[in-house]
Amino acid sequence: MPMLKVGDEAPDFTVKTHRGDEVSLSDYRGKNVILWFYPKADTPG
Amino acid sequence: MEENRRFAEKFGYQFPLLCDTERKIGMAYGACDSPDAQYARRISYVISPEGKIAQVYEKVSAATHPEELLKNL
Repeated sequence: MPMLKVGDEAPDFTVKTHRGDEVSLSDYRGKNVILWFYPKADTPG
Repeated sequence: MEENRRFAEKFGYQFPLLCDTERKIGMAYGACDSPDAQYARRISYVISPEGKIAQVYEKVSAATHPEELLKNL
């Protein structure tokens, strides 16, 4: 899948977190959000 | 989720780790090539307060990326 580009609307999502609660991107409206993908928990790189 | 919980506790992370088990976010953001991809690529985005993509990082080094992000915010 191609990456998104600067200026694109960030697709909203709702997902479970490591704490077991749910979070949506839209919960963070009004704030800067860093969305950082990683392959697997606690792997080097 | 259990792996992410241990990861967060080990390093005392104060932010949520998202459990994208179905690769929905990975697919929407171009971090995975298919829903059954084993892993997501190590990429990142900064999303503006208005919900737009503000910065795109296609290649991220875990060691130096936090500093890079803070500098550009």
